[in-house]
Amino acid sequence: MPKLRVDGKEIETKQGTTLLQGCLDNDIYIPNLCFLESMEDPSASCRMCFVEIEGEKQPITSCTVNVKDDMVVKTDTPAVRQLQRTALRLLLSVHHVDCKHCPANKKCELQRIAKFLKVGLKPKGLERYLQETEIDRNHPFINHYPNRCVLCGKCVHICRRQHGQSVWTFAQRGFDTVISAYGEAGASSLTCGKCDACVKICPVGALTFKDVQEDG
Amino acid sequence: MSQAAQIKSVQFESVPSIEIDYMELDNIIANEFNNDKENLIMILQAIQRRYNFLPRPALAYLSTKLDVPYSQIYGVATFYSTFSLEPRGRNIISICLGTACHVRGGERVREKIEGALNLCDGETTEDQRFTLETVRCIGCCSLGPVIKINEDTHGHISSDQVEKILDPYE
Amino acid sequence: MKIQSVKDLEQIRQDYSQRLYYPEAVKVNIGMASCGIAAGAKASFDKAIQEFPNGNGIDISQTGCIGFCEVEPLVEILGPGKPRVMYKNITEDKILETIQDYNENKFNKKWILGQMRDPRSLLEDDIENPLAGVTPLEEIPFLEEIPFYHKQVKIALRNCGYIDPDSIEEFIAKDGYFAFLKALHDMEPKEIIQQVKASGLRGRGGGGFPAGIKWETCARHNGDRYIICNADEGDPGAYMDRSILEGDPHSVLEGMLIAALGIGSNQGFIYVRNEYPLAVKRLVSAIKAAVKYGLLGDNIAGSDFNFNIKISTGAGAFVCGESTALMASLEGQVGRPRAKYVHTVEKGFRQNPSNLNNVETYANVPAILLKGADNFAKMGTTHSKGTKVFSLVGKIKNTGLVEVPMGISLKDIVFDIGGGVPRKKKFKAVQTGGPSGGCIPEQFLNLGVDFDELTKVGSIMGSGGMIVMDQDTCMVDIARYFLDFLKEESCGQCNPCREGITAMLDILTDICTGNGKEGDIELLEELGMMIQKFSLCGLGTSAPNPVLTTILYFRDEYEAHIKDKKCPSGVCKPLFHYEIDEEACNGCTLCAKRCPEEAITGEKKAPHEMEQEKCIKCGICYDACKFDAVLIK
Repeated sequence: MPKLRVDGKEIETKQGTTLLQGCLDNDIYIPNLCFLESMEDPSASCRMCFVEIEGEKQPITSCTVNVKDDMVVKTDTPAVRQLQRTALRLLLSVHHVDCKHCPANKKCELQRIAKFLKVGLKPKGLERYLQETEIDRNHPFINHYPNRCVLCGKCVHICRRQHGQSVWTFAQRGFDTVISAYGEAGASSLTCGKCDACVKICPVGALTFKDVQEDG
Repeated sequence: MSQAAQIKSVQFESVPSIEIDYMELDNIIANEFNNDKENLIMILQAIQRRYNFLPRPALAYLSTKLDVPYSQIYGVATFYSTFSLEPRGRNIISICLGTACHVRGGERVREKIEGALNLCDGETTEDQRFTLETVRCIGCCSLGPVIKINEDTHGHISSDQVEKILDPYE
Repeated sequence: MKIQSVKDLEQIRQDYSQRLYYPEAVKVNIGMASCGIAAGAKASFDKAIQEFPNGNGIDISQTGCIGFCEVEPLVEILGPGKPRVMYKNITEDKILETIQDYNENKFNKKWILGQMRDPRSLLEDDIENPLAGVTPLEEIPFLEEIPFYHKQVKIALRNCGYIDPDSIEEFIAKDGYFAFLKALHDMEPKEIIQQVKASGLRGRGGGGFPAGIKWETCARHNGDRYIICNADEGDPGAYMDRSILEGDPHSVLEGMLIAALGIGSNQGFIYVRNEYPLAVKRLVSAIKAAVKYGLLGDNIAGSDFNFNIKISTGAGAFVCGESTALMASLEGQVGRPRAKYVHTVEKGFRQNPSNLNNVETYANVPAILLKGADNFAKMGTTHSKGTKVFSLVGKIKNTGLVEVPMGISLKDIVFDIGGGVPRKKKFKAVQTGGPSGGCIPEQFLNLGVDFDELTKVGSIMGSGGMIVMDQDTCMVDIARYFLDFLKEESCGQCNPCREGITAMLDILTDICTGNGKEGDIELLEELGMMIQKFSLCGLGTSAPNPVLTTILYFRDEYEAHIKDKKCPSGVCKPLFHYEIDEEACNGCTLCAKRCPEEAITGEKKAPHEMEQEKCIKCGICYDACKFDAVLIK
């Protein structure tokens, strides 16, 4: 089992595990949104889990490196925090902050990360850009709230893992990118009535079952 | 919810009904492209060449034929800018907004055309005569600013010529 | 006929050299790349064919683009015992007269660009000079003597404009497939890679990674290795790859064949941009011809080497120029890049080792093998060898494709070759590297252009677009333009690029519309540096370059927009207006006639006036005035 030093603390992890997972297993929190345990090829798309590793010039994402013996890692440097805070501010600039009415209130990853990084939920300096579409009702059982979604892709991933193919997909591109289930409605093969994996895994409450909430 | 009244939501887009020739579609998918998922983008191009846009029923058929989830096909169709899920006009105007055209006044030509047809990028006139699209560089930089209407390239456009150029396209 | 050996190739070369160099009848070569066609070459071609149907004593043929786009359509005419003459601007109305002119030995100087020497063969010593006995025309320069061509050295473009792209025989006549057969029969894979490494060839698509090292790494990994050609030339203002595909498709196929031998692959792919239909057509015809001659397919040239090439077309996504996105797109998926902690040379297309180079890179390879790596490495600078093709566009007199040795100065390219900025306007900057590059100001005109020097001043080589900007180009607007481009083209996967570019664009749009605030420049710099550091792929990390370089070199323009609410270049409409200079206006009435809003009034030969309320700032009067009497205020 590789032994490494993280923030001055000696930890031991399983061979072949990612640095992010190794730290999380040892109760060292690194902010992250798109990572799922035992993912084969982490997408590394949320750009949150930066750390500094001795010997590397720049902070790198801890989900894309595997643990190695004698690795020396710092998770709490000014450079790392600055990257994470900017990433969070950018995410919040497109997030409809209305925690009181959100089913994820108090168990929301964004709230947790904001608290951890000491960033206000309505950060100054950046304008807010919300998409026009606030609810996507295309899915027969589940509503999707693009303005809450952080596009982490966990729902896509978990659905594919459990059912072979995913009902959810990324659609559009650039700033217009959304998660979509377009066209899957009414498909007889859907087992969505029985499965709640995507709703459960969503870190922010962007997916809700239709009967959970009055949705006009 | 207090904001419920203002909330916009999306439902299935209503798409005009269109006759799909499934035999022909099958031919395209099977014979030209070997029922191969890897050819998805080129199959979509072939469908768009045939129907001038991507009709929903054709995509549904493609989904079963290739065994690719419909949502994934939708993802591909909305990711790439050449695809249109809505019917397009009889004539496609592509305004080149490459850098060379931009510094030579392409933006002014765009404003003029948008004004003349009362359209924005990606929209189609009500009479289905024109669809306006923008492209990023067609490599005819010496002729900039350039617009392409269907297969015809018009170079050295100044905004006062726009109406004369559009006129012959019915 | 299937080619088995160099002897077979040699036979074809002999036969077709005759036709290329010593035609029995007058031969008219019309430049028919898509830029030529757009300028009217197709109409000229049709007219000529109609007048001289085949066998009528005059042979009408097509070629690719010889690079001088500004004077297209270009037509070359040659005949037995006569000089080869390149005519310029030969539109439909002039084509018949031009042919007649040549036939009657009149040689109207006004229509002639220059005389041509024989199309140079890489193995030129083998072929006697067909023009040896021909007396050159007096007072008409040879092509290489005119400024546009004088400093050019053609390797990647060696055949473009000289041969019929649809004729594999003409390609062979210009030494085509000789390098491949040499590699197939006489070289070990290791030797091939060694040659490419020794040449110092770096990828011409943008990153500039040494091609030989990439090949070597790919060859080391096991699996079904793939040879992929990136023809998704997405940088706006760059079209050299299109020109090569349209003018000399076989050189790319030959480069890929050689790579396949060196790396050990049986399958190649060419990923072509959807906007290049003619390039696809010529590629398809080239592949068919190569298969017919047994140069593609199974048991190539009688050996046990098999190689096939499939063409895939893109569907309009700039990000697909990125290697991992391109491979995802080849697999029929959305083109979202993935984090490159595993490189594509190890796990790329179909999770197998994949070697990706662009069109220009592959086109260089046969020339390196034929003339030797040293010969290639002799040209250029310490770390950038050989030549590079640039597309010289924008506010420049001689728009066109130019191929120059690495290390040549920007000044040489822009002023000597390009002829400088037209209409006596003042040069402001040259933008290189497309949306990932930057704007280089006048103070760096002496810079020797290579991969490293361009990076030092905050830009990049990119695929070779050079967009020249003059006093009428607003640098804030240019930064806004590129971010607007990138906002649409971002794949939307990672948040710095998706949200960060939008945030930056929003600030720039505010600045361009007069709503800029104190502190905006600093916020742009902060966001820009963050996005550079933490985006997922190359598109994101380089996206802020156009903004950061314009802030670095043209901060005064940003400040004029924010503090004075003025756009000194007259581009951002809310921030300027036109006025007529009473002293300079001589009342020629041209501006009043052309104004679409009737905003300009005045008597003939008396200074005119402009009604500000009516003016829509379309700029037609400003462009029309020959006396600089329309001012930007």
